[in-house]
Amino acid sequence: MLELSDVQARYGAIIALRGVSIKVSQGELVALLGVNGAGKSTTLGCIAGVLRPWQGNISFEGASILGKSPEQIARLGISLVPEGRDIFPSLTVEENLRLGAFTQREKSEYRRKLDEVYDLFPVLKERLQQPGGTLSGGEQQQLAIARALMSSPRLLMLDEPSLGLAPALVDQIFELIAHLHKTGVTILLVEQNVDRTLEIVDRAYLMNTGRIESQGGAEQLRTHTDIEGIYMGVKTQPKK
Amino acid sequence: MKLAARLKPLDTPLTLVAVVVVLALLVQLMGIDLLTRIVTVMFVSIMLVLGLQLYMGNSGILNFAHIGFMGIGAYTAVLFSMTPEAKVLTNSDLYPFLVPLHLPFVPSLLIGGLVAALFAALISYPLMRLSDAAAVITSFALLVIIHVVLLHWDRVSNGPRTLFGVDNYTTLWVSVVFAVITIFAVYFFKESRIGLRLRASRDDRYAAASIGINMVVMRWLAFVASAFIAGVGGGLWAHFITSFTPYSFYLNATFVVLAMLVIGGPYSVSGAVVGTLVVTAAREVLRGIENQVNIMQIFPQGFFGFTEVVLSVVLILILVFRPTGIMGNRELHWPRRRGEAKPAEPTETET
Amino acid sequence: MVNLEFIINTLSLGSLYAMLALGLVIVYGILKLVNFAYGELIMVGGYTMYLLTFYTPLPWLTVVILAVVAAMLTSLFTELVAFRPVREKSLTAMLITSFAVSTLLQNGALLIISPRARAVTLPQIFQTSVMIAGTSVPWRNILTILTCILTLILLTLLLRRTVLGIALRAAADNFTMTRMLGVPANTVISTAFAISGIMAGIVSIFWIGRSGSVTPTLGAPPLLVAFVATVIGGMNSLTGAVVGGFVYAIIISLLGVILPPGLVEFREAFMFAFVILILVFRPEGLIRSKTSVERIG
Repeated sequence: MLELSDVQARYGAIIALRGVSIKVSQGELVALLGVNGAGKSTTLGCIAGVLRPWQGNISFEGASILGKSPEQIARLGISLVPEGRDIFPSLTVEENLRLGAFTQREKSEYRRKLDEVYDLFPVLKERLQQPGGTLSGGEQQQLAIARALMSSPRLLMLDEPSLGLAPALVDQIFELIAHLHKTGVTILLVEQNVDRTLEIVDRAYLMNTGRIESQGGAEQLRTHTDIEGIYMGVKTQPKK
Repeated sequence: MKLAARLKPLDTPLTLVAVVVVLALLVQLMGIDLLTRIVTVMFVSIMLVLGLQLYMGNSGILNFAHIGFMGIGAYTAVLFSMTPEAKVLTNSDLYPFLVPLHLPFVPSLLIGGLVAALFAALISYPLMRLSDAAAVITSFALLVIIHVVLLHWDRVSNGPRTLFGVDNYTTLWVSVVFAVITIFAVYFFKESRIGLRLRASRDDRYAAASIGINMVVMRWLAFVASAFIAGVGGGLWAHFITSFTPYSFYLNATFVVLAMLVIGGPYSVSGAVVGTLVVTAAREVLRGIENQVNIMQIFPQGFFGFTEVVLSVVLILILVFRPTGIMGNRELHWPRRRGEAKPAEPTETET
Repeated sequence: MVNLEFIINTLSLGSLYAMLALGLVIVYGILKLVNFAYGELIMVGGYTMYLLTFYTPLPWLTVVILAVVAAMLTSLFTELVAFRPVREKSLTAMLITSFAVSTLLQNGALLIISPRARAVTLPQIFQTSVMIAGTSVPWRNILTILTCILTLILLTLLLRRTVLGIALRAAADNFTMTRMLGVPANTVISTAFAISGIMAGIVSIFWIGRSGSVTPTLGAPPLLVAFVATVIGGMNSLTGAVVGGFVYAIIISLLGVILPPGLVEFREAFMFAFVILILVFRPEGLIRSKTSVERIG
């Protein structure tokens, strides 16, 4: 469904991506792992059309989306929940959700998604008229994901959804992601919480300084790759 | 051979100076009064635009207050250069302690520059910490404040009334000397460590901060230097035009100077000079057309503003199609013989 | 003398300034652009009124509506032709462009019409007064206040009840995220410029209503007012703009009464010094809102 071929991108003079190639097939839950600065967020940014790669290609469902504007890419069904959530603080929860459904033409479909979202995130229904800025971190994260779901995305991208959340909420988030995966949503997940991530994903890519270092199925990565080493910067024995 | 090698790093300012001097010589030889006047004020404009370039080109921040400092310099300089009698004649309300002040031309100019620089130094330090957007807005506020003060402080500036009777000390060669000095000064600033550091923090302020560059101080120094040049330039201009009002130092002049810098290229010293030359020439041609149309009475209500309309359209077109101006990021160089290596040029960056 | 007349005058002035500031902030909130050409939109409204009242027998209400439309169209046109091509480049480029557009419009008026002031025939109602509680109140002032209230209601409805309005507010919070939800950047920005033009048009009615004539440089004073009011209110919030407009009117009116004759002419300078102080010490404006200004020092 989604394919990046040798994508290279930079911020001014700083090279962020040095040739990234990844694939995500329909219905998969794929993770991008790596330390801060590895280029994970940059990769998502390139897909979402916020950053334009200067080399390489990105294609979605067979057609190239390189150079398309963020709004065009959103209309193709790609939704990004950025790191830091980026909910609209001065808009109410309801207005945030309403805007999430911007690409949704059907009024009835909008109502249906709203109900879905209320089921998944009951706390949002409680806080419907509150400004987004008054929500707690965990609630904002839920709002951000809910907002992204409102457009029934074909590809959902999540950038560090568990960042800064209390452990109980982290559990909730991962359960949620796993649940969405079960319902058939294609998800590209960027995370630093390696263990939890590998528990729920089909495949993962490991990034380091703008490149893909290794990739494979979750089980494969857990046992054969020195993931801890990459995160800690030291070499340890691979787990058995 | 050795001299040429010694001069090589200076070839940009030398080239620019050569252009200025050759132009001055031509004009002197031709002896046409009008042309001499146009070129004289053009050299003063070069100085003003260079002053703006020093700040804007290196820090990347738009400074609307520049012409305000020109005004401060102008009014201060004439307070010193005019004889007491002349001062009282034009402004009977002048503060008594200001009347007896009298200094020769050049010291008056320098004092004008110093007062402008002092004002800039005091006012601007807290402003250097602001983000780019806020810095621009504050510079605009400064321009308005200076204008309103000049407009209403009758006892110093003669208020909205014309201040007349200034001696015409700014001749062609006087303006040449100042233009030449400014070319070297601004070029050396650009190539100095301060200039380098300022541009580094313009391009990436966090990286620059991480290697210890104190952007606030750098910006402040550039701002003050820029104000000094504007002040002296203002004094020069005052002694060319010999009579003026506070409206001479407000939005119209700001537009012209900005146009000269942006059209020429804000990121290089050559850009400032080239822009001034091009825009001055264009304005004279357009003004000529305006006058012709008015003489021929083609439009009953008069034909005014044509020059500014064309100039603003050109400015917009440059911003859309070539934001780095005529010179791009490049400096002018002495034409080289075949086979000589070109000096390394910076890669193009955005405005 | 702070009496009923003073209060109503100040309220009327505040209403005018509030609408003025709104038009400027709506664009600033999204693009972070101070549109220097905003004042000229008011001038365009004024000249439209002049041309229509001078050359056509159209009734005043029609003239006024057309003036607002003219200002709106000019705003949209400048966005399309001058701002849109430069938008992606940098804020500085946009600021210089707006300055250039301002000069262009000003001198365009100079060129096409005349450097001299043109009188605008005002309707009867702008020249009559009504007695309220023993004071003679010009109808014009009452109309200004009423128009402001009506405009605020309509604007609030637009921004809270329509999807486009919600998108506008979202864009002011986070423009990139708004685009990532599929909202077209051009639509949002054009709408903001359209609203800006409409506000300028409405302001021009009452601005001309006070002076009775229009010149090419008409746009400069209102721009400065909008500027100050916007900064006072915190440049990111529409409510702030409205409050800023009223605060400005109150301060400048009070200064006019309080300051001795030698200092009164410097009122504007004081206001702008006030602006600088706010930008340095409290950039989010005097009103509590959720924005922050980036600092580097």
